Amino acid sequence: MLIVEGLTKQFANGRGIMDVSFTVRQGEVFGFLGPNGAGKSTTIRHIMGFMKPDRGFAMINGLDCWKEQGTVQKHVGYLPGEIAFIEGMTGRSFLSFIAAMQRVDSSEKRARLIERLQFDDTTPIRKMSKGMKQKLGIVAAFMHDPALIILDEPTSGLDPLMQQTFIELLLEEKAKGTTFLMSSHSFPEIERTCDRAAIIKDGRIVAINNIHELQSLQRKLIVIVFEREADAEHFAQNGQIPVESRDDRSVTVAVQGNYNKLIQEASKYHIRSLDITAQNLEQVFMHYYDRRDNAR
Amino acid sequence: MNAPLFKQMMKTNRKGISNYAFGSAFYMLLMFWLYPGMAANTDALNDLLKSMPEGVVNAFNIQGGFGSMEAFISGEYYGLILPILLSIFSLMVSTALLARLVDQGSMAYLLSTPTTRRQVATTQAAVLTVGLLIIMLVTTASGFLGNAWFIGDKFEFNGSRFFRLNLVAWMLFTAVGGISFFISAVMNDEKKALGTSGTIVFGMFALDMIAKVSDSVAWLKDVSIFSLYRPGAIATGGGDPAVASVVLLLIGLACYVGGIIAFSRRDLPL
Repeated sequence: MLIVEGLTKQFANGRGIMDVSFTVRQGEVFGFLGPNGAGKSTTIRHIMGFMKPDRGFAMINGLDCWKEQGTVQKHVGYLPGEIAFIEGMTGRSFLSFIAAMQRVDSSEKRARLIERLQFDDTTPIRKMSKGMKQKLGIVAAFMHDPALIILDEPTSGLDPLMQQTFIELLLEEKAKGTTFLMSSHSFPEIERTCDRAAIIKDGRIVAINNIHELQSLQRKLIVIVFEREADAEHFAQNGQIPVESRDDRSVTVAVQGNYNKLIQEASKYHIRSLDITAQNLEQVFMHYYDRRDNAR
Repeated sequence: MNAPLFKQMMKTNRKGISNYAFGSAFYMLLMFWLYPGMAANTDALNDLLKSMPEGVVNAFNIQGGFGSMEAFISGEYYGLILPILLSIFSLMVSTALLARLVDQGSMAYLLSTPTTRRQVATTQAAVLTVGLLIIMLVTTASGFLGNAWFIGDKFEFNGSRFFRLNLVAWMLFTAVGGISFFISAVMNDEKKALGTSGTIVFGMFALDMIAKVSDSVAWLKDVSIFSLYRPGAIATGGGDPAVASVVLLLIGLACYVGGIIAFSRRDLPL
């Protein structure tokens, strides 16, 4: 469906992407994971045909994304990372305009999507909140039933309930055979929807794995608060589980795949509370990145 | 060309186009209404012109004098106000049609639909051209209307000269529009695009003016497209309107085509 092969683009400021290659198969949800500024959006811009690659190519349904710009787009729905609509329009007039540009009669599906996402499409765009604009963008990307939907940070600005609705929507489309490429800087978002994911850092792909492999690679920091300080000390001294830090009753442990071990060990004590701390992507895949850096 | 895009862009720019068109028509009618009052003193006014330094008279394109309606209007409107007004229109609209959409990012939406960049750029060029055409048509029509209302048989009015004047003016703005469109097509930053094309267009306008004031720097007019536009001369039957129109049209077309090609080939930071 989507083939990206050796895609390279060097910008004047030294940044860019180097030799990015991956393939997204028909009907698959492919995650594109990386910290901010790693090259996710640059890669997507090449797939959308906004930029000419220095080397390599991106291809959708056998059509080169740069050379066949204008034809490729028949198969594609796109949600930009930073959405900018055309000035002076309401949600409805914008969607009608885009539908006319897409040359597909999508009024039925559009109405369904608007109802599903619960927003008022008669609102002028400049008066819309971030979340509302995001919903409008989602409708524009989904309404014409494209074979491939490219989503750049799709859930930013959506509240948790809407994120859930969005994920349901995505999975329904997937069941119909739609292919997805979805970029994100948050692993939990990718985890819930994707079959496979590529991790990109500093413009290079560092790993392409299926999501279960990535889950086991993932490193989580768990804060355990014990009833008694002595227990906390004993647990930390024990050495069965790698301890990151200890502070009175609370112990922070780093877990990577060995969840059973942690539960067995922790069950020997009285636990007051347990918390998983939020981490950024580099911390989550720290071992992965480290290994890569050491190898160089 | 892309019909839905053309329709949408005309809608977005409708207000600007009609404001300029009505403003222009209003000023024209005002001038036609004023002329009979001035015409009574034609000789005195022409003497006044003669007493002014020739360079200044040329610079402001009022050398046509006050002898006929088209000479009067060529000086009072086509010489200074119309070029400035329509230059501003060309600069604003051409910048809004490409550079602003790229700068803000909404171009991403246009290009995410099955439309080639060439189609998008061609459509935007058509919007600018049609906008300028509408303004010039309204301006020309208001001239003929003003003649019918206020001048009639009482004073001289040479319709074909007046028409030629408008034709050359339209070609001038095809060229000005083309230049600003080209700049808009190659720039990523809206303000920079407007600044650059504004400097070029008004720079040329100023150079032409300076060249007319002093003979020692007369060569400056060779680098300005405004030197091809001589409303005073056209109103009195000279000024090579055919040559000027063709050259201006070619400059305009070359810039439009260049802009469309450049836009189709470059990286867009969307």
